[in-house]
Amino acid sequence: MLQYLIILLDKESVSFCGLTPSPSPKGERSCLIPLDTLKQGIRFGMIENLMIQYVYPDYELPAEYSKVIESIDHSKIKPMKDGADVWVTGSIKDIKADVSVVWRTDKQSLFNSEADIISALENVPRLNVVLTDVETFTDEDFENYRSLLNAFAEHIEKLYLEGISSQLNLLTDRMMFSKINNCGAGDTTITLAPNGKFYVCPAFYYEDETDSIGDLEHGLDIKNKQLYKLDYAPICRHCDAWQCKRCIWLNRKTTLEVNTPSHEQCVLAHLERNASRELLNNIRKHGTFLPEQEEIKEIDYLDPFDKRNTWL
Amino acid sequence: MTWNVAKKAIDYILSHENSFPEKSVIWDFIGGEPLLEVDLIDKICDYIKMSMYELNHHWFDSYRFSISTNGINYCEEKVQNFIKKNLSHLSLGITIDGTEKKHDINRIYKGSGKGSYADVVRNIPLWLKQFPNESTKVTISSEDLPYIEESVIHLFSLGIHEVNMNCVYENVWKEGDDIILETQMLKLADSIIDNNYYKDFACSLFSEQIGGPLLDNQNWCGAGKMLAIDAAGNFYPCTRFAKYSLREKNELVIGNIKEGINKNKLRPFLCLDSRTQSSYECIKCEVAQGCGWCQGENYDTAETNTIYQRSTAICKMHKARVRANNYYWNKLYRKLELEGEREEFEKNKREVKLEIC
Repeated sequence: MLQYLIILLDKESVSFCGLTPSPSPKGERSCLIPLDTLKQGIRFGMIENLMIQYVYPDYELPAEYSKVIESIDHSKIKPMKDGADVWVTGSIKDIKADVSVVWRTDKQSLFNSEADIISALENVPRLNVVLTDVETFTDEDFENYRSLLNAFAEHIEKLYLEGISSQLNLLTDRMMFSKINNCGAGDTTITLAPNGKFYVCPAFYYEDETDSIGDLEHGLDIKNKQLYKLDYAPICRHCDAWQCKRCIWLNRKTTLEVNTPSHEQCVLAHLERNASRELLNNIRKHGTFLPEQEEIKEIDYLDPFDKRNTWL
Repeated sequence: MTWNVAKKAIDYILSHENSFPEKSVIWDFIGGEPLLEVDLIDKICDYIKMSMYELNHHWFDSYRFSISTNGINYCEEKVQNFIKKNLSHLSLGITIDGTEKKHDINRIYKGSGKGSYADVVRNIPLWLKQFPNESTKVTISSEDLPYIEESVIHLFSLGIHEVNMNCVYENVWKEGDDIILETQMLKLADSIIDNNYYKDFACSLFSEQIGGPLLDNQNWCGAGKMLAIDAAGNFYPCTRFAKYSLREKNELVIGNIKEGINKNKLRPFLCLDSRTQSSYECIKCEVAQGCGWCQGENYDTAETNTIYQRSTAICKMHKARVRANNYYWNKLYRKLELEGEREEFEKNKREVKLEIC
């Protein structure tokens, strides 16, 4: 069931997921959502009972937009800290904020930023690390990622012992979840672009504007909509790496199917899952912690695809 | 296909033994008409055998070559030389559709428009002598329906003991075609049973495995469990995903001879099961067993670029087939029981392929 409507306030709204949109050609002006389109989008959200998330560009919006934006309960995803509920940044160095932070990074910057990330964990309530080059991970990268997660886990354990509940999506989400929790693109979440058309998620819009799933005038038209649901994802419905992004756009890019994740996405999610398991077990050695959460089981695989014969 | 492309494809496959752990392999040559290129096929087969020996490959002596031919140049010297050279590892099927009238509806020479039946049928005796257990496969389209009974009986009379026949999965069916199929199959059932053909012959239209609700969740089609290579060296999960086989969609390439297989693109094929791609109506269908599909046709007709939406164009034809099967098996088993031959029949009955592409 639909629950969320993401409204991109501009064609140049900040990306907060794995896709890095191609920059607009030099001299091309940004494309702000027309005020009337925004109003219609909000009306659609109200009628469908959807929670709205606005995604901002990196400039100040005209004054008349503010009143319209505030006409419905919402959250703000911004490329600047001020006024954001979620701050999207391209730099992890010396960050400090009292809101959730999304840091979009490629693997190399991630591997080179261990100290900065550890520092950030103490200075932001929640850090979401979003990798922009998942599909390029090699076996060597997986090993580096495993080591990095272990280092973060060690630090987060120390912070917990000091009474600081630091949140890092890669490690602490899985400990908190009792079922899969991902972006829900095409299932629980859809995106409205400045052109008045709906998309499965922002990445589908940024990649190909013709790839829409309806518009404000005619309503939603999601073909094969069952394929966005977990029940129709043959690998994911058997998986318990519940923190996995299960990025629908990346699925389609790498496997050509929205319901099938790549090997790289599965392995990364399982490295995170296993590191979360270690972290949960280690914290529990110091006392009661998340008593309502079940133990994360030990498993002998990193890619559930390799176990398909047990469920096919 | 050039020799260079063929060689690179073989080199890739044989040098990636871990990616192909199956115990055995079938090297299948399909055309157009493959035997027009018998010199190339012969060279390819020699190279495969030599390479498997040199690499001490686990497929050495655990392989077959397979060819489906229209049979026209079957008796040519170079074709015969190839057959004799590879006979112990060769499966070779000739596609003959039935009576002359039925065969020549679709199988005609370019230019003259003359049917090829006469040129094929004269090669059948030699073919059956060299491949006595071979079957022929016949696909049925709308215009073929009135000829089913006479065609199958004709093929039996030529000495072909197994006729594999199925309705095409494409949406070619007209109003009333299911009735024609059922009528033809009932007639065929009577002919097979009344004339005792069932003792030595089999037609895959009749199978005890069809009808009844779904029992398992297996995918029907083998796409993705095979590797198809086109003349340019591109890899496909089945030839049905090559451009020349598709009407609406772009080709679905999963690699090539230079870069190898993109395993991420293969994953969706290997995760396919029945229920994930079927509608609620199909899952709950009371006669779903044996109702098949072609993954390429599903892809071509899907509303989005997916292999996970099943085409149901064959639905009414399958239901007609189920009804005719009910009649066939009820009539046959009653006869066998009355004649005290059921036990012996069950013991010796010929297993036929449930479906073919």
